[in-house]
Amino acid sequence: MAIELGSVRYRYAGSSSAALGPVDLRVEPGRVLGVVGANESGKTTLCLVASGFAPAVVGGRLEGSVQIDGIDAATLRPHELAQRCGLLFQNAATQLSGTTATVLEEVAFGPCNLGLPVAEVMERVWWALRAVGVVALAPRDPARLSGGQGQLVALASVLALRPRYLILDEPTSELDPAGTALVADALARVAGETGAGILLVEHKTDVLARIADEVVVLEGGAVALAGPAAAVLSDPRLAELGVEPPARVLLEREVRAAGFDWSAGLAEAIG
Amino acid sequence: MTVPLPAAAENPSLPQYVIREPSGPYRSLNPATKLSVAALEVVAAFVIPGWLGPGLVIAVVLVTAASSRTLRGLVIIGLAALPLVVSIMVVNLFLLPGAVDPIARIGPLAPTWSGFWFGLLTTARLLAFSSALALAYLTTPVDDLLADMSRRGLGRRGVFVVGAAVQMVPRTIERVGEIMDAQRARGMDTEGRIWRRARGVVPLAGPVVFGALAEVEERTMALESRAFTAPGRQTLLRVPPDRSIDRALRWLALVSVAAIVAVRITGRMG
Amino acid sequence: MDMLKGWVARQFTTRVIVLMPVAIAINIVLGYTVQSVLKLPVYVDSIGTILVGCVAGPLPGAITGILSNLIWQYAPGIGAGSQIGPFAITAGVIGLLAGVWGQLGVFRPRRGHGLNIVAAVVAVVLIGALALYTYGRAFSSPEQFSSATFKDTSVFDQSRFFFLAVMVVFVGLVAWALLLRRDIGAVFAISAGLFTGIVAAVLSAPVYAFFYGGLSGSGTDAIVAAFRAGGDSLYQATLKQGLLSDPIDKMITTFVVFFLVGSLSRRFVARFPNGEKIVGPEAEPVTTPEAG
Repeated sequence: MAIELGSVRYRYAGSSSAALGPVDLRVEPGRVLGVVGANESGKTTLCLVASGFAPAVVGGRLEGSVQIDGIDAATLRPHELAQRCGLLFQNAATQLSGTTATVLEEVAFGPCNLGLPVAEVMERVWWALRAVGVVALAPRDPARLSGGQGQLVALASVLALRPRYLILDEPTSELDPAGTALVADALARVAGETGAGILLVEHKTDVLARIADEVVVLEGGAVALAGPAAAVLSDPRLAELGVEPPARVLLEREVRAAGFDWSAGLAEAIG
Repeated sequence: MTVPLPAAAENPSLPQYVIREPSGPYRSLNPATKLSVAALEVVAAFVIPGWLGPGLVIAVVLVTAASSRTLRGLVIIGLAALPLVVSIMVVNLFLLPGAVDPIARIGPLAPTWSGFWFGLLTTARLLAFSSALALAYLTTPVDDLLADMSRRGLGRRGVFVVGAAVQMVPRTIERVGEIMDAQRARGMDTEGRIWRRARGVVPLAGPVVFGALAEVEERTMALESRAFTAPGRQTLLRVPPDRSIDRALRWLALVSVAAIVAVRITGRMG
Repeated sequence: MDMLKGWVARQFTTRVIVLMPVAIAINIVLGYTVQSVLKLPVYVDSIGTILVGCVAGPLPGAITGILSNLIWQYAPGIGAGSQIGPFAITAGVIGLLAGVWGQLGVFRPRRGHGLNIVAAVVAVVLIGALALYTYGRAFSSPEQFSSATFKDTSVFDQSRFFFLAVMVVFVGLVAWALLLRRDIGAVFAISAGLFTGIVAAVLSAPVYAFFYGGLSGSGTDAIVAAFRAGGDSLYQATLKQGLLSDPIDKMITTFVVFFLVGSLSRRFVARFPNGEKIVGPEAEPVTTPEAG
């Protein structure tokens, strides 16, 4: 049970060079896989390919295999992919359907599209709102939410389809620190309570340091580094790959460079 | 995936803020009924000859508006039509071809009585038909209309296009306003000579158009990841009720339209 | 029947469904801004319609046009005075034509070599002839499109004048376009705009005359009044005013859409149903996104 990318190469329609590849990757339920890399390193493309949306929705040419729970993603239609992989992007405003009057109806949009009976729709909606922690937002107008709240509602509306995996492309990049913390907490909660497998693309390595289990670094569309989160995030090669290490790692380096000791207890205390 | 449900979910019926039932005898009519009534009124305004058509329609519309608390909205819409009304009156007053009953002679201009009455009649018809349609719009929230059309067979894509467009217009207007303010601060002229105003269009339209188009890709992804293209019929959480009075009124409207048209046609031939 | 259903379905991919409300909003907001705020004597309310028509196809284009008209009449905040609900049919036809132009590859960039230049000249001659004929008929007598000789020199001059005015704008726009970008495609695009404008004028004149007496409460009413003063019937005056405003407006609009489509990223345009016809064929076959 996993999303498995095997020797994947991908090229967009109307483009002559590969945006991604070769890539081997595995996203497992209950685990958070962080993805970092410089701009244009293929992070967004990876999200689209891992969820099967490339090529199903955006066209283009895929080589290699993308398997979701053992099924070839190329054989699945977009609405079937949506029920297996929830996909989220940076801009909260463009992910809300723009046609609903309340958050509750917005989160119900997905299940209603599936044609489920009203009772089941409502059950899923309340479940998703609860899992993300935004039940109180249910009567609100989706167009009047803050950035962070909008992202949480977008997360809930995707979760309402009960996907086993969540793929998020820089969900906090347009948010202030408060919004970022909100979304990071919600993700950690969702991962813990629902057992979903999460692929999280993030610039903010602090977020990954907090919630990721493994981290992969992309460069030029290929995997440059991979391993447990703590190890990869403190790897000295991060800077030359265009990635800023988490604040804690930087602090540790400064402290050691100044000749002081850095103990595990100190690291724990800083959090 | 076991997450305990909050207490609200134990009550299977929808919360009030979702149901949003309109109040008032006219407002609580089914959207299709209100549209049928408006269609009848439009036909009556143009097909019933002379002043009777527009007069009847305007009277009915005013009474319905008063009872559904939409008079103010109607007046605002009516006032916005003022330039057009003035234009119609002026042009017909002075330039009705073949009119030979002048009111006065002001130099080379000769306003005529026939022109005046014709202008007034055209205005009456115009006000009748636009107020009838405006009333239907003012008493029917867009989601109610879309939910009803969805029940009657409009696919989810039609519902989405109309619903999203209606919500997107005010957002885009705000964006234009922001850009215009920014451009004004940089010296763009919105009041000056025509050439200067024309030059201001591109730096205004450009960002609006490109900004709007830039969102298309992400919005497409967002729809697909919410199973928008799943087959079968979409579940409707809320649908405006369609009562027997609605069906009766629609049938009545249809019969009336047929009758009016038939009488007019046979009247002409007879 | 299946082929027809396939043709219909192919034009309504999810991406097109997303583009349509955006295009409708562009139509309404730009039209309102240009007409009511900047108070310029053009409509500029079909940029979205023509864009959808040319990248997606005739049906989405037509529906975009129709819905723009219906929603504008009732759009919250600015709907009130625009009074253009009855023109939905004209707007629909504009979108339909744009779809035809798109499928014919009119909006494709073209090099300025031999065959293309010949084709461009042919297009200009054809459209010029059509315009001359239309203007001649429309302005030649008080009855609509009755057979008229050009022997009555006074009305012939009137038709000549308006024909020349429109052709001056045509040539001006083409020259400007070729200056901005050496692309013969501009000639085809603007010719298509002129054709669309003529069709729009002819279609909307009866509606205008019947519902609004040919008037709109804006500056162009002075033109209609002038024709009426000259003795024209309601329909005739409306048609003449339309044949001046619409072609100019549609040429400007098509000019804008041509440059707009050329400025969008290839990747973006290629994903639409007509996209390949606009950016040019792909070197290798790639998977295209599924319809619907």
